[in-house]
Amino acid sequence: MNKYAIVGFGCAGYHAAEKIRSRDQEAVIDVYSDTDIGPYNPMLTTYFVKGSLPYEGMFPFGSLEECEKKLNLHIKKECPVTAVDGENRMICCADGTKEQYDRILLSTGASALKPPIPGLSLPGVFTMRTAEDAVRLKERIASGKLKTALVIGASWVGIKVVEDFVEAKVATTLVDGAPWMFYVAAFEETARRAKEDLEKKGVRVSLCQMLDHIEANADGTLTAFMKSGDTFTADTIGVCIGVRTNTGFLKDSGIAMNRGILVNSRMQTNLPGIYAAGDCVEAKDIQSGQPKNIGVWYNAGRQGEVAGENMAGGFMEFDANILVNLAHYLDYDFICVGDVSACGPEDEYYEYEDEKLYIKACKNGQKIKCINMIGSADANGVVKNIFIKTIETPEAEIDVKSVCYLLTNGFPEAFISFLRRK
Amino acid sequence: MKYTFVFNPDLCSSCSSCVIGCMDQNDFDPESGDLPFRKTFQNEIELADGSHYSAYISAACMHCVDAPCIDACPVGCLSKDPETGFTVYDNTNCIGCKSCAMACPFGAPRYRKSDGKMVKCDGCNERVKAGLKPACVKACSFGALQCVPEEEFLAEGSAKACNVLIDQLGLRRK
Repeated sequence: MNKYAIVGFGCAGYHAAEKIRSRDQEAVIDVYSDTDIGPYNPMLTTYFVKGSLPYEGMFPFGSLEECEKKLNLHIKKECPVTAVDGENRMICCADGTKEQYDRILLSTGASALKPPIPGLSLPGVFTMRTAEDAVRLKERIASGKLKTALVIGASWVGIKVVEDFVEAKVATTLVDGAPWMFYVAAFEETARRAKEDLEKKGVRVSLCQMLDHIEANADGTLTAFMKSGDTFTADTIGVCIGVRTNTGFLKDSGIAMNRGILVNSRMQTNLPGIYAAGDCVEAKDIQSGQPKNIGVWYNAGRQGEVAGENMAGGFMEFDANILVNLAHYLDYDFICVGDVSACGPEDEYYEYEDEKLYIKACKNGQKIKCINMIGSADANGVVKNIFIKTIETPEAEIDVKSVCYLLTNGFPEAFISFLRRK
Repeated sequence: MKYTFVFNPDLCSSCSSCVIGCMDQNDFDPESGDLPFRKTFQNEIELADGSHYSAYISAACMHCVDAPCIDACPVGCLSKDPETGFTVYDNTNCIGCKSCAMACPFGAPRYRKSDGKMVKCDGCNERVKAGLKPACVKACSFGALQCVPEEEFLAEGSAKACNVLIDQLGLRRK
């Protein structure tokens, strides 16, 4: 009888458990969770705050008890793993217990980044990642006491927190340390349009603002002091400056890591029998060929399935790892496919704008590097798939149906020619 | 019994009867700006060798065997109907995040502005379960669009099936 451990039970962990169980009915599957709630999607937190989703809606696979019953798991609740002995495939827990396994999956996800900046632990300063974070913010907004808010970080989470405040009619300021919004994904021209749209909707946006520290004021407000000398005062401050992989406990495990756990296309780490999947890993980015941490729900689910299948003796590969960012907020859609940081002055650019659509794309010879689009939501998957195909099979033409789809949906022929690398 | 949509472009004239069938079945109101799930395309496309191809296409959800939209949905709205094999949905908890549209290489899921939720073709799942043809198939006068039992499709090995296109696009897992 095979004995499996799943450390961390989010999207990747759940999918792996499901896959293992479908292949191996007799297996013992121990799940280590540091919470007592079911697997949930951190992205849903802001939707819950806004009221688009009931609390239970954040848990698409049900409670821990339901998962345990459905997949016949042994779930160890509130049982954080403190170390992994990689050579012996041994799990060490905070309570001192140790257990050896045939296969281990590490799927511990990521946490909101909270750098050691003075004032980040003050009451009223918050991050947004966990279900608990969401409940707390929802209660504060519902209290009606918040009149002003400051959001630090024009990140994918930051912009959704801004949306929560705007929907609740809380006067909101968004600041970011970069020279333009969505800096890791947007061309400057794209970001300028996003900023103008946000300002039209009443959000104050201030860029090139690095946080120095936060102080509490006597009247209950908070003031963020920036390195520029500027200050921003608000009733609450959200710190949404990114995430960090939950991998600290692997320090002496012998498992190869960069910012995340390094895995191959079968989600295997460098140590036999130890796999990793989800927001805690760096899988090979098919665009650059380098390992990259691309933490999105879809990747986590697929990686979990791939890991589970391989752990249980099957063969499956994850090969769709590319940088894709989708921001949908306040009736505005922005998508970035590919790596904007790979684009330079030597490259060829395409730009288009009409009343509904904005496109900026970059290529070098036959290689498309990055595409930004605003207002294209229904066609995003078509364009993303074309982008992936140009990487996987550079000699292939774009399929006729995709060309028809784009033409019929108002994309200019010149953009399609650009994608076809003509 | 599972079903497969089969499309033969040689028999399609982009007459859009299938689109009208879809609109009628799903009670679309064109004046509200709501669009049907099925679309037709009629385009002249220049091919890589410089020649031109006149495309006549009817397209909707391909009901992929390993539908990427299912994994992409963060709230679990999408699933496979075990009986028909169609990709179906319950959008009660849909948050309109458009992750399904991002995952779909065919542009099948569509954001409905009136309620902020995603909608898509469900293969006329209830009709098929009741032994009827999907509305688009029924409306097609030329036999370009068919919905056949999976066994029949596999036995025929049709080169023109939607699922061949899925293979061409590399959507099956290794």
